[in-house]
Amino acid sequence: MVKTSEVMEQEPKKLARRDIVKAFWNWFFFAQSCYNYERLQGLGVASYMAPLLNKLYTKKEDVAAGLTRQMAFFNSEPSFGCLIHGVNIAMEEQKANGAPIAGEEINSLKTGLMGPMAGLGDSIIQGIITPILLAIGIGLAQKGSFAGPVLYMILETAAIVGISFAGWMQGYSRGRAGITELLRSGVLRKVLEYAGILGCGVLGALAAQFVSLTTPIAMTSGTTTLKLQDMLDKVLPGLLPLALTLIVFYFIRKGKKANVVLLSIIVVGIVGALIGIF
Amino acid sequence: MQISLWQAIAVALLYYICQSPWLGCMLTFCTVYRPLIAGTLVGIILGQPALGMTIGATMNLLYLGFISAGGSLPGDPALAGTLGVALAIASKLTTSQALALAVPVGLLGNLVWYGGMAVNTIFLHQADKYAEAGEGRKVMFMNIVPPQVFLFIICFFPVLLAMRVGPSVIGNIMTNLSGKTLHVFTVIGGMLPALGVAMNLKAIAKGNAFMFFILGFFMVMYLKLDIVAVSIFMGVTTFVLYSLSHSSSSKGGDTNG
Repeated sequence: MVKTSEVMEQEPKKLARRDIVKAFWNWFFFAQSCYNYERLQGLGVASYMAPLLNKLYTKKEDVAAGLTRQMAFFNSEPSFGCLIHGVNIAMEEQKANGAPIAGEEINSLKTGLMGPMAGLGDSIIQGIITPILLAIGIGLAQKGSFAGPVLYMILETAAIVGISFAGWMQGYSRGRAGITELLRSGVLRKVLEYAGILGCGVLGALAAQFVSLTTPIAMTSGTTTLKLQDMLDKVLPGLLPLALTLIVFYFIRKGKKANVVLLSIIVVGIVGALIGIF
Repeated sequence: MQISLWQAIAVALLYYICQSPWLGCMLTFCTVYRPLIAGTLVGIILGQPALGMTIGATMNLLYLGFISAGGSLPGDPALAGTLGVALAIASKLTTSQALALAVPVGLLGNLVWYGGMAVNTIFLHQADKYAEAGEGRKVMFMNIVPPQVFLFIICFFPVLLAMRVGPSVIGNIMTNLSGKTLHVFTVIGGMLPALGVAMNLKAIAKGNAFMFFILGFFMVMYLKLDIVAVSIFMGVTTFVLYSLSHSSSSKGGDTNG
C-alpha cells in the first residue's frame, strides 16, 4: 500500500479508478455479508468505504469520523443501489478536498435515494429479469436440456454484474446532480413499465405450462359417461389452472401473507383430492 | 440410493455457499440460491445431474416470484434446492412429491436467515467500536469473517445431519403412503406453482400489463408455444410498443405530417 502522507496538503486528493473499482468489488461481494436487523447493509457500506477513507484522509480522527458516518443505517437493492454508492464516493472525495459538505448531508442523500432505488431495483432485478430468465431456464430444463441452467447462469451473471458496475461508475462520475436528474427524467420508470409487459407475458406462458389442476368428476347416465374435465376443455383450455392462479393472485394482491396463502393452497389441495373433486 | 459421507458434506457445503457472499452478494442470491441451479449442482454431486436439474427446476416454480424486500423472505429456496433435491433423489420421489417436500424444508430454512440477521448485530456493534477508533481494516474484518464463520456453522452442520438421517426417514414415510396420499401430493404439486406466479405478478402487473399475462397463457394453451417462443414474441411486441410510445411523445403531437 502506498502511503498518501507524503502528498502535499494543497494538492487535490483524487481517488484512482483502480481504488473505485476495488471498492466496487468489495461491495459486490460483501454488501450483505453482515446483514442485520439494526442497520441492514450499513456495515457493508462502511466496509467498502474504509480503504477509500484511508486514501482520502491522513489524520486518524478524520478517518474515524468518516467510518462512523458510513456505518449509518442503509438498505437498498444491492445492484441498483450501486448508483447511490458511486455518488457517495464522489461526495466523500469532494468533502475530503474541502468542499462544504456536512457529514449529515452525505447520509441524507443516501437515505433519500435508497428507498426509490430499492423499489426500482427489486422490481427490475427480482421482479422481471430474474423470473424471465428463470422461466426460460426452467422451460429448457424440463425438456431435459442442460442449456437451461447454463444459459440462466450466463445471462443472469451478465445482467447483474453489468447493471451493478455501470451504476457504480455512473454514480461516481455524474455525482449527486446526475442521479437526481436520472430519477426525475423517468427513464427508469419507463423501462420498468415496458419490462413489466414482457414479464407478464412470460409469466402467463409459465402458468399455462406448469400450473396444473384437473377434476375427475364424471356423471354417468345410462351407457354414456360425461366427464366434467372434457367439457371444461371444450369451453376454455386451462380454465382450472387459470382460475386457480387468478384466485391466488387476488389474495396476494389484497396483501395476504405468502405463507398464509401457501398453507391455504395445501389445505384446499388435500381436501379437494380426498373428497374427489381434484 | 445410498448417500456417502462425502456427498453429504458436499451438499452441506453447497448450502453454505448458496447463503454466503462468495460468488457476489446479489449474484449468489440470483444464481446458486435458486433451485434450478442448486438442484443441478446437487444432481452432479449425487451422480444424477439430469434428475437433479428437473427436480430443481420444478421446485423453482414455487419460488419464482421470490422477492426479498426490506430483509424479509418468504421461505428459503436454497434449502429446498439443496437438501430438498438431495432427499428427493435419495428417496426416489416423483417431481410433484419433491415439490410438496420443498414447502416444509423451505420454511425451515427461514430460521437460518433470521438467525443471521439477529446474531450479526453483535458483530455490527464490535465494528462500531473499530470505526470510532478509525480502524478501517478491522471494520472490514468484522463485516466479513465473524458473520461468515457463524453462517457456516448454522448452515453446514444442520444440513450435514439432515443428509445423514433424512433419506431413511423420508424413505420410510414414502413406503408407508397409500395411493390416495400420493394423489394428494400430486394435486398439491400441480397447484403450488400458482403461488410463485401470483407473487411475481403482484410485483410487476401494473395497469394494462396484466392483459399480457392472459395473452401469454393462451399463447401456450391454444398455439402450444414453449416459453422461449413466447418470450421472443413478447419481447418484440414490447419493443414495438415502447418505440411507438417513444416516437409519438418525442414528436409532441402529429403536426409534422
